[in-house]
Amino acid sequence: MNYRNRFKSFIKKPQNIILVSLAFILMYLTVIPMITILLDTFTVHQSELMRVKGSQIGDFTLYHWTKVLFSSASRKIFYEPFLNTLIVSFGTCIIAILLGGFVAWLVTRTNLKYKGIISTLFIFPYIMPSWTLAMFWYNFFKNPLVGGAPGIFTALTGIETANWFAYGPFPIIVVLGMHYAPFAYILIGGILRNMDANLEEAAQLLKAGRVKILRKITIPIVLPAMLSTFLLVFSSAMSAFAVPAFLGTPVRYQVLTTQMFRTLNGLNPGYGYIMALLMILIGVLILGINQRIIGKRKSFTTITGKSSNIALINLRAFRLPVSIFLLISIILICIVPLITFAIESFIMEPGNYSLSNFTTLFWVGSGSPDIANGEPGILRNISILRGLWNSVKLSVLVAFIAGSVGILSGYAIVKKKNTKLSALVNNLAFFPYLMPSMAFGAIYLSMFAVRRGFIPPLYGTFALLVLVGSVKYLPFASRASVGAMHQLSNEIEEAGTIQGIGWWKRMLRIIIPIQKSSFISGYLLPFISCMRELSLFILLVTPSSRILTTMLFQYNEKGWSQYANAINLLIVFFVVISNYVINKVTGASIDKGIGGN
Amino acid sequence: MPQIRLNNITKRFGKAIAVDDLTIEIGDGEFVTLLGPSGCGKTTTLRMIAGLETPTDGDIYIDDVCVFSSEKGIDISPDKRNVGFLFQNYALWPHMTVYKNVSFGLENMKWDKNRIKERVFELLAMLRIEEYSERYPSELSGGQQQRVAIARTLSTGPKILFMDEPLSNLDAKLRMEMRTELKRLHLETGSTFVYVTHDQLEAMTLSTKICLLKEGLLQQYEPPLDIYRYPANYFVADFVGSPNINIIEMEGEQINLDEIKLTNNQLSLLYTPNSSSITIPKGKKLLLGVRPEDIEICDEGTIEAAIYSTLPSGMETIVKLDIAGLLVTCVVFGGVDFPIGSRVKIAFNAKNYVLFDRESERNIASGTLS
Repeated sequence: MNYRNRFKSFIKKPQNIILVSLAFILMYLTVIPMITILLDTFTVHQSELMRVKGSQIGDFTLYHWTKVLFSSASRKIFYEPFLNTLIVSFGTCIIAILLGGFVAWLVTRTNLKYKGIISTLFIFPYIMPSWTLAMFWYNFFKNPLVGGAPGIFTALTGIETANWFAYGPFPIIVVLGMHYAPFAYILIGGILRNMDANLEEAAQLLKAGRVKILRKITIPIVLPAMLSTFLLVFSSAMSAFAVPAFLGTPVRYQVLTTQMFRTLNGLNPGYGYIMALLMILIGVLILGINQRIIGKRKSFTTITGKSSNIALINLRAFRLPVSIFLLISIILICIVPLITFAIESFIMEPGNYSLSNFTTLFWVGSGSPDIANGEPGILRNISILRGLWNSVKLSVLVAFIAGSVGILSGYAIVKKKNTKLSALVNNLAFFPYLMPSMAFGAIYLSMFAVRRGFIPPLYGTFALLVLVGSVKYLPFASRASVGAMHQLSNEIEEAGTIQGIGWWKRMLRIIIPIQKSSFISGYLLPFISCMRELSLFILLVTPSSRILTTMLFQYNEKGWSQYANAINLLIVFFVVISNYVINKVTGASIDKGIGGN
Repeated sequence: MPQIRLNNITKRFGKAIAVDDLTIEIGDGEFVTLLGPSGCGKTTTLRMIAGLETPTDGDIYIDDVCVFSSEKGIDISPDKRNVGFLFQNYALWPHMTVYKNVSFGLENMKWDKNRIKERVFELLAMLRIEEYSERYPSELSGGQQQRVAIARTLSTGPKILFMDEPLSNLDAKLRMEMRTELKRLHLETGSTFVYVTHDQLEAMTLSTKICLLKEGLLQQYEPPLDIYRYPANYFVADFVGSPNINIIEMEGEQINLDEIKLTNNQLSLLYTPNSSSITIPKGKKLLLGVRPEDIEICDEGTIEAAIYSTLPSGMETIVKLDIAGLLVTCVVFGGVDFPIGSRVKIAFNAKNYVLFDRESERNIASGTLS
């Protein structure tokens, strides 16, 4: 076959077209921006003209890198936040995995009671915006030492909370740990459910005790998957912005993301770009380690068997106490914060919890000039309602684009598996996951501020938010879709091909209906993530494209905490309801999107 | 002394009944097969004896020791029942080498290192997988993994061995080979084997006794050839034997003390029961069971038939015959090929034809035809 014919037959297959176009588009949207900002960190800008002697704008310089990494200021600028990031991420991982793993083990392997409600509620902290718990902690434990009114805890008990307990690394780790525990729960639960129970039974028949089975069989077998859970949680925790911003800022505890926000908003974006690059580098390293772990020779050999009949461990006397304790703690974590937001949003003067101080002003009031510049209550506030509309519009568009591209990419990746092109697209589609949201936002800010080829300058437009959201959340959709496609045997599509059914019809009438719930999960996760995303958009919004989360952040910075609490409640309410409705109507769930079964 | 005894064992999963009031005894040193179509409760039964599943009702005794009793509240855990279990998917531990997989059980029994090593290599040699001792399971073929699983199960020298469809993941040739080895293993170890399969050929060729189940109910529990010759009911007759038994719908009429006239649109035969204790009212609806090898194609035959199809396999030929619209299967030894459509004569010369009641489907007699 000559080259022309080979090319002809190559482009006849839809999966090839999808892969080639995705490879180009994703290259352009992920790799090129990275290179651009990499080059940018070596260039002289207007603001450094004075400091880099004898240079002109656009000259090559090592100024930014030496300043960040090797100068007298670099301890404050980079190393301290870097160390803090590592501490926070490690701490988060440990809490998330211990908590999530323990609950996953209880739910999949024991005769725990109330499993249904526990597994539903336990996901809540992950569906809610991450700062929900942070705000809760802040509201509840804030002390007058840093300034402002005391929190509910102090108001109720009269005990003043210590600074280390109210602000800084400890609450950040606890809150992020609880936020990501459901993530670990979903992943570890999936592993435990997929693990062949016969492996444990075989050991039991060979007279190994419970502890020995756990130590010698269960843990070593799930360890690779646990490690990859660890790495995923680590990279998510590393890029968390809102939680450290809420709980760290009062005591000037900086992590890389908050530091990046400061520098990117301030005079020297070059510093921020360097931090972004270093964070991406860590992310890529993590991905590399992860793939190494998974590709070992000791990996699973799965042979079809009857692994479904797992004999559950009888907790005997512990059954009821453990079940009730777990249920109550989960309710405390999920429901109580919402109640406190509600309370906080109804009180006139912060810190005063007497009945006479309650007001509906911040919800439906028309605004009074002496409070918050006369902002009307959030349900009557045009700009907040516009923010809500923007949030919903953005999330729907992002979910639609990310979900649809995700389905196509999953289809093509699995169809052409074991080819280089497929592996490339697979990695490119996963790459945005490793980019810290803040860094990703920063890159797009710099890249699309000017005209790029056929793309007009996008800064300040709504389209830029849609673009960055779609790329950032593509990994969720493509992973869900790759998983779904792997379960589908090729013959199912081939049976349609042989009958002369066209590609579009095959996709719409055969493949998508069969894996409907997984594919819809691929839409659901970007939608929910987008609704509650702050750090990705915070650098990109302008007054005309404001969304709820960024407004919440602004209100909070201005100290109008009642508005912030009310908005947060609005977001949580919206996210939880839409998750519930989509789950009930379509059977899609966020666990499927993350990779649990 | 019976080795394993199940008394009125019942297992319910929610509302579904997996095993229904099963009572059997498995003798010392026997090779018992639990046979039946999928979903008949055979694996559940095996897992209950091993202690991996808890029965809803009933008692189980192993070596006259009660290991489970719903009434007395006894439930001895699997590790204390001294049994071996071979899983369908082998359940080899992916993170351990072949050696580690096999030595695990011996380590649990606190053997000393040298003795373990000796025992492991003895087993690996017996199963001809010595050279793979340092490999991981994922680096072995299906047949080799199977052997490792057997070695691991045998390592602790259990007196009772449970096997759950151990050959179903192997290809046809390997399966044949492993069948021979399992039978040899049974003799060499002198252990009691309880074996689950849905493959009637495996059950026929391997076991000393077959326990046939259908929807959780015991159908028949007898040596394989008895099951083949004297099936308790229509289901058993149909499930065992390949090619399938011919079941011909007939109407019966007692014409004298030990002769029954069987008729349908195509045939009219005289049936003589081997024991003359049955009486058939006129017009009674019956099923006549004729094994394919019990139909003889010969010139002396009295019944005319046309060749419908032939399937010669070399050693034997499966011939489908058309008797005036009634299709029957017969087996001829040797590679005989008949032209399709040609006419032959057949006779029923064997000693054993089974008669079932069409209503209850129960076996009511076996006898000869003329």
